[in-house]
Amino acid sequence: MLEYLSHINKAFESKVRLGIMSVLMVNECMDFVSLKQLLGLTDGNLASHARALEEAGYITCTKQFVGRRPNTTYSATPEGKEAFRQHLDALEAFLREQHS
Amino acid sequence: MKQEEALNTLNDIRNLMEKSTKFLSLSGLSSIVVGLYACAGTLMAYHLLGTESLNYPTEDQPFLDINTPDKLISISLLALGVLAASLLTVFLLSYRKCRREGKAPFLTPATKRLLWNFFLPLATGGIFCFSLLLHGYYGLTSSIMLLFYGLSLVNASKYTYSNTRYLGFAEIALGLIDSFVVNYALLFWVCGFGIFHIIYGIFFYLKIEQHPTRTRN
Repeated sequence: MLEYLSHINKAFESKVRLGIMSVLMVNECMDFVSLKQLLGLTDGNLASHARALEEAGYITCTKQFVGRRPNTTYSATPEGKEAFRQHLDALEAFLREQHS
Repeated sequence: MKQEEALNTLNDIRNLMEKSTKFLSLSGLSSIVVGLYACAGTLMAYHLLGTESLNYPTEDQPFLDINTPDKLISISLLALGVLAASLLTVFLLSYRKCRREGKAPFLTPATKRLLWNFFLPLATGGIFCFSLLLHGYYGLTSSIMLLFYGLSLVNASKYTYSNTRYLGFAEIALGLIDSFVVNYALLFWVCGFGIFHIIYGIFFYLKIEQHPTRTRN
C-alpha cells in the first residue's frame, strides 16, 4: 500500500531543490543569476542546494568566464529528469489515493 | 505529508515551469491601443493617397496609386511611425504590468527567447517588404505584412500566452486572402492590424486579466 511513497524522493524534499529541478526540466539550461532571481534566493542558498543536486548526479554545472566575470550555468541530467518525473508521479499517486 | 501540501507543491512546480519558459506580462490593453494606432494610421494613409486611388478597380491601374516618390516616402514613414508607436506602447505597458505584479526582472531568458522568436520572422518580412518597395512592386505589400506578422505571432506564441497563436492564424488567413484580391490593400490592412488587434485585446482582457489564475492557456 505504501509502495508509491518509496518514489517520493528525499533529494527533492526541499522547496528550493524542487524549484531548481522544475526550472531545469523545461529549460535546456539556466544561468546562476536568472535561476536565483526566478526562485527568489540568495547566492549562498542557491549554490548550496545546487551543489547537493549536483552531488546526487541530477544536475550538471558548467563554469566559464564571460569576459572576466564567472558565469555558471546549470542543466538537468537524464537521471535527474527521470528521478524528478518519478517524484511527480509519486505525488500524483499520493493525491489520487487520498481522493478515493 | 498532507494532501494540501502535495497539491501546493504540484502547483508551485507548474507555476515555476510556466514562469521560467514564458513571458507573461503582455496586456490586453496594449493590443487594443495598437489596433487603434493602426486605424488612425489607415485613416491618415487614406487621406494621403487621395480618394481617386480608391475608385477601383481600373484595368490599367491595378494598384493603389502610390507610384510617385513623394507618396511612397510619406506612406512608408507613416507605416514605420505606426510600427514604432506600437512597439513602444507594448513595451511600456508590459514593463508596467511586470513591475506592478512584482515579477522577476523584465529581461529574463524567457523574455529574450520571446523577442528573438517574434522579431526573426517580423524583421525578415520587413526587409522583404522594403526590397519589394525599392523594386516598385507595391501590390502585395499589405499581404506580405499580414503574412509575416501572423507567422511571427505563431512562432512567438510558444514563449508567451499560447492564445496569441489564434491571432496569428487569423492574420495569416487574412494575408492569404489579401494576396488573391487586388486593390483592397488598405481595407485588409486595417482589418488585420486594427480590428483583429482590438477584438483580440478585448478577448484577452476579459478572459485572462479578469481571471488570472484560471486561464493561462
